[in-house]
Amino acid sequence: MLKFLQFTMVRAFMSMFTLLSVSLIVFSLMELVPGNCAERYIAFKNTQGQLITIEDIQAEERRLGLDKPFVIRWGTWVGKVFFKGEFGDSCILRLNINQLLSDKFWISLGIALSALIVSYIIAIPVGIYSASTKNKFANNALRFISYLGLALPNFLLALIIMLTSTVLFGDSLTGLFSKEFRDASWSFAKFMDFMSRAWLPIFILGWSATAFAMQTVRALMLDEIGKLYVTAASARGISGRSLLWRYPARHSLGPVINSLGFDLNRIFNDLPVVALILTLTEAGALLIEALARSNDQQLAGAIIFLLTASIVLVNFVTDILLALMDPRVRQGLVG
Amino acid sequence: MGLFTKAKPTETTQKLKESYFTASQGQLIRARFKSNRTAMVAGWALTIMILTGLFAPFLSPYAPSMAGRDKQYVNGPPQIPKFWDENGFSLRPFVYATKRHRSMKTNFRWMIEEVREKRYYVQFFVEGWQYSFIDLNWDLPGELFDVDIETLTFKTHLFGTDRGGLHLFGTDNSGKDIYSRTLHAIYTSLAVGSLGVFIAFVLALVIGGVAGYFGGWIDSVLQMITDAVRTIPPIPLFMALAAFMPDEWSAETRFFFIASILGLIGWPTLARRIRTHLLSERSQEYVLAAQLCGASSGHIIRKHLLPSFTSYIIVDLMITFPYMVRSETALSFIGLGLVDPVNSLGALMQNVSKADVLLNYQWYFIPVIFFIAFVLAFVFVGDGLRDASDPYSNVKK
Repeated sequence: MLKFLQFTMVRAFMSMFTLLSVSLIVFSLMELVPGNCAERYIAFKNTQGQLITIEDIQAEERRLGLDKPFVIRWGTWVGKVFFKGEFGDSCILRLNINQLLSDKFWISLGIALSALIVSYIIAIPVGIYSASTKNKFANNALRFISYLGLALPNFLLALIIMLTSTVLFGDSLTGLFSKEFRDASWSFAKFMDFMSRAWLPIFILGWSATAFAMQTVRALMLDEIGKLYVTAASARGISGRSLLWRYPARHSLGPVINSLGFDLNRIFNDLPVVALILTLTEAGALLIEALARSNDQQLAGAIIFLLTASIVLVNFVTDILLALMDPRVRQGLVG
Repeated sequence: MGLFTKAKPTETTQKLKESYFTASQGQLIRARFKSNRTAMVAGWALTIMILTGLFAPFLSPYAPSMAGRDKQYVNGPPQIPKFWDENGFSLRPFVYATKRHRSMKTNFRWMIEEVREKRYYVQFFVEGWQYSFIDLNWDLPGELFDVDIETLTFKTHLFGTDRGGLHLFGTDNSGKDIYSRTLHAIYTSLAVGSLGVFIAFVLALVIGGVAGYFGGWIDSVLQMITDAVRTIPPIPLFMALAAFMPDEWSAETRFFFIASILGLIGWPTLARRIRTHLLSERSQEYVLAAQLCGASSGHIIRKHLLPSFTSYIIVDLMITFPYMVRSETALSFIGLGLVDPVNSLGALMQNVSKADVLLNYQWYFIPVIFFIAFVLAFVFVGDGLRDASDPYSNVKK
């Protein structure tokens, strides 16, 4: 038990370290792009018809603390994020980023995680079937579909579904809420409305995630299925589904759990693009808005950091899960 | 190559066995790849697509830029060469002349009509717009890096008609030929992918090589960095960076910028594989022997360790390639990558995102098919190569 606690602590520490380095990378990249927050804000004000001088910019820089050295600025940023959960104000909008993002971020995360869960609910049985079946036609068809999942980009799928539904039903299926619920506070009715519309982005995001997951499950099962312990089990008279699920499937579960974090990463990759097409008001779409229109580096940094943090968290949870489930991993910890 | 067929009696079997055991690694890989039918078909498709990409100007009857636009054939449907119609048969394929009109009846939308009495015959090797195979005109930041070379200039094109060209895949809303644009887009996507893969490869080789060869704390630190970079979702990050591209950048600068971002973020997976391989390989006897002979670390990495897994590296590069192309396409699609005057598959696909297109101009979707075929071909070839380079792939477990 003590060992397990120790393992958890080490993992938590490593996750924190990863987060720190990510924050450093993100922060440096946001620093590297030409222009800083003060200049942007002032330039924005300039377009509003105010005359701006160099002194104004410098005053603004001092106010934002931009005249301090890089390490100190990074330190303050990270400190605020880690200890207070504060991302500061957005560059252009001059609004608190936490308020700006909170709802949108949770919705995005919810959609991404649902897509992940759906993809594995489909991929695990289908992958196991594809690995164990002798039916050549079914096998080839499944493989082709999973390859298509890689080649047919999500945004294209989103586009096709959207255009088809516009033409056929006259409803473009865009947005996450119907008009009457858009500004309403959360209630059961709003939740149901949300669910009736969220299936489309979940399906589209799950599409290529399923293809990837299926290939992983299939490859892992193929590795395990020929091993001696499976032969031994079938010699004891276990056969069919119970054999598959009780022996090789349990062994291949470990690596599958391990890869969850990177699957989430992949889903996040598609999120902004799909969100743009379906014009959802979530972090992804917001990211594009924040970036393409106003070059808001403060906001962009916050969004990327949040996305990465959720991946790191998933990785941490799966590490612990794996240690709980797999006696071999636990053994490795003790020994 | 009968290496893997079922055994035939005596002497030939003996010979086959001998050729199997004396075959070099390269020969074995080739033989295994050839026995994989899907991968072979994909390989041919890929070769053809790469060649069409490389010789795009020669194969295109129109220039893919605004210069090559056909003002009289805006949003025109594909012209498919015919051999016969109600006016008789012709051995030489032909297309019809067209004219356009608009009126109250068409809601003032330009309508294109075929003039069936007038035929334009398809000709081969016609003279057309001028192009150069080597046309380097880079306006990179900094005077020193500007390059302007133009050689191998030609005017001949594979096909056209006696009156200029024909639009195999139709035209877009400014009258540019979609067929010519698609071919040039394949070239651009190939170039972006190659440059991105190259940058990622060099980084991965250096970082993975150093981590794997030295091990110890250097390895731990580099691993932490690699893992951190790996957890950042690349496309949101691309978007964040790409959005900061100044609008006044030229197409070439944008192109280099996009390719470098793709490369700078794409290296971690590759670096990890190189490291793992080096870690297992560096404790082998031949490395120890080289060390005892006084070889330097660099020498050992270059001359002994890298050649031991060149095939794996090539396979990995092949597998990385379609992801680079996909990322570029996604970026261009949302308007943050390469933009319209440049012909990239993503920029072409941007045009299809309107309901109007689905209803009236379905031929805009033709480049999409090419994109899917392109990515699929790369994935199949990559998979085939991976299976072929794995020495245990045909050993029954």
